[in-house]
Amino acid sequence: MSPLSRRGFLGLGMSAGAALLAGCSTPGSTSVNAAPVIPPASGPVKLTYWAWLKDLQKVCDIWNAKNPNIQVEAVWIPSGNSGGYPKMYSALAAGTGPDLAQIEFRTIPEFLLVNGLVDLARYGAQDYADRFDKTLWGQVSFVDGVYGIPQDSGPMATFYRPDLLERVGADAPATWDQWAQVAAELRKDKVYIDCFPLADPSWFTAIATQAGASWLRVDGDGWVINMTDDVTLATARFFDKAIDDDLVTTAFGQYSTPWFAAAADNQIASLTSASWGDALLEGVSGGEGKWRVAKMPRWSDGFGSSYIGGSTVAVLANSQHPKEALEFAIWMQTSKEGIDALIKYCGIGWSPLRDYIGEQREQPAAFFGGQRYNEEIFLPASKEQNPDWSWWPITQQSFNIIGDGFRKKASGGTLVDAIVTAETTIIDAFRNKGLTIRKATS
Amino acid sequence: MNSSTTTSTAAGEKTGRPGADRAAGRPGRRRLDSRAWAPWALLAPFLLLFTLTFAVPILTAVAQSFTRVTRQGVFGEQGVTTQFAGFWNYAQALGNDNFTASIGRMLLFGIVQVPVMMLLCTILALLLEGASARWPAFFRASYFMPYGIPGVIATILWSFLYVPGLSPLIDIAGRFGVEVDFLGADTVLWSIANIVTWSYTGYNMLIIVAQLKTIPNEIYEAAKVDGASPWRVAWTIQLPLIRPALVLTTVFSIIGTLQLFAEPQVLQSVSPAIDSEYTPNLSAYTTAFAYNDYNVAAAQAVLIALVAFILSFAFLRLTNRKSQ
Repeated sequence: MSPLSRRGFLGLGMSAGAALLAGCSTPGSTSVNAAPVIPPASGPVKLTYWAWLKDLQKVCDIWNAKNPNIQVEAVWIPSGNSGGYPKMYSALAAGTGPDLAQIEFRTIPEFLLVNGLVDLARYGAQDYADRFDKTLWGQVSFVDGVYGIPQDSGPMATFYRPDLLERVGADAPATWDQWAQVAAELRKDKVYIDCFPLADPSWFTAIATQAGASWLRVDGDGWVINMTDDVTLATARFFDKAIDDDLVTTAFGQYSTPWFAAAADNQIASLTSASWGDALLEGVSGGEGKWRVAKMPRWSDGFGSSYIGGSTVAVLANSQHPKEALEFAIWMQTSKEGIDALIKYCGIGWSPLRDYIGEQREQPAAFFGGQRYNEEIFLPASKEQNPDWSWWPITQQSFNIIGDGFRKKASGGTLVDAIVTAETTIIDAFRNKGLTIRKATS
Repeated sequence: MNSSTTTSTAAGEKTGRPGADRAAGRPGRRRLDSRAWAPWALLAPFLLLFTLTFAVPILTAVAQSFTRVTRQGVFGEQGVTTQFAGFWNYAQALGNDNFTASIGRMLLFGIVQVPVMMLLCTILALLLEGASARWPAFFRASYFMPYGIPGVIATILWSFLYVPGLSPLIDIAGRFGVEVDFLGADTVLWSIANIVTWSYTGYNMLIIVAQLKTIPNEIYEAAKVDGASPWRVAWTIQLPLIRPALVLTTVFSIIGTLQLFAEPQVLQSVSPAIDSEYTPNLSAYTTAFAYNDYNVAAAQAVLIALVAFILSFAFLRLTNRKSQ
């Protein structure tokens, strides 16, 4: 090894490294929606669709049989934050990725931040707007663009155990005040009415949304934040008291392993959750026939229900066939055939259509003692939503910030303080991302 | 170590050897020069992979940690600019209380868990290599077995012993009127430490056993002749001689502690006390892939590497000074 060749080699390595570095800027800094619209293909095309729905290929096959020119292949990915989004982000950063992908409503703005989605309004998506639920369509629309086709949602209601409530002479509570009274009675029986998930603030967010909150909105070129409005703080105060009085448990979250253990042991009398909880509840051992569904408790103002979760099917930025992808997505989400297949094979959440809940959901359910709960409870709930709610580009980070604050409740903090502090931290996080934000003045 | 026992007999040979080597090497050197490409050609597959999968990613991460992005419009739809940021990302990373707390948490974890594990694996290794050990091969294999179970699976297994309602441990403790919470804010770190100790004690034990096996029999025989007790043998012969293995495994454990990821990530689903930035690596992962902030994540990664480097270096310096 002569010194010359070593130095020469190092020099070569350094210049190769420098060349590579010059080639890679921070991913997602160019927008596909500034490029010209891609015309429909003349020949047959093949689309890839990444989603964490099981058996999605069976739904695609129904379409494939009728549309030889647009063949869709479903690829299973881990769900959202458990690995699906990181996979999509890396694919986008590498300039590849599928044509279609499953993205939750709340994550759409996060993908916009990395210029990851095709504006479907440029391919005629607005023509189908009137087929969808207005609130959900609002959650995929930002600044004149449409960035996903609603796939499913989770209108909220209360799943409850009539037998446990009867022991304290109660029925499913109609208001949150009644809920607190019933909860106190249940505690004498060593039963919890529900749990309050300190680690995942999406439940609290949904309840605040029901109360009428609207934390972030777009104003011109920037964002306006208002997390410390009266309804949000009232909601926080209400659950501060509920936790202090030991009305709810904070030891675990809904549908977690310890929750299932407690539910099977008759220690959970109810849970206020989304429509998709029906399938999860069937995992409670010995739960068959014991559960019923009622409207969720109401605040004195606000709305009858709220949404938790829900996904869209979006067209990712590197798709070469956005027009065909949109065509497929519209078929899947607006045809009775598509919706029924999605429910049958993939078990999707609540249909985002205005006037069709799916054939299977019109049937009475044995697990819920023959109750036709979808038509009775969830259908009206899906119409009583807060239409002003909009998600923002750092939703996950904001949820983590709020969750960090909520966790302090265990060591003497309050939810109210957590919300107030979170608002400031979220403003900083927006600015650190190079975005414009201001606090609402009113 | 081997040479020390043979020094007296081979002293004459030893002094002559280096000169002979040099003499033989000189004419050969020129021949090698004319074929200087040979080592490079043989090294090429390694160097190529090393450069592409190691050097370039590290350089890219370091470069990314010095840039930042600003956006025009609500989402940056009116333009995105990348610019040199100096140490701005590092300031962001260090200004993030969760990240600094996670490093502090791992230091606490390391101060407790690493010594406990080293003590355990040393004792196990000494017992297995003791003269009166029964079925050492069987026990060696069974102690090593947990290492063969991936961290994710190990955590799922242990979580069944931690979750109230499922755990027989909690039920038994409850019968004696003791309320245990393995997943609370104050206890979950030690529940993780337990999983890590369970997984890696056997592995570290094996390294120490390997070193113990290199101790020549003559030393043991000499000790026997001198009438040394098993304690004395362990204390004055085995422990000093396995020192290099102990130093090596401790450094690996320190680095491993800072890189803790899978266990807390999996345990998160049953313990609300574990946040998304519970360990430094979880924090970097969350920043990169949940917040899409590759620049700050790169800065965090560089900081984690620096801390691991400083700790390992400090430990090596400390042990070197002691041995001198």
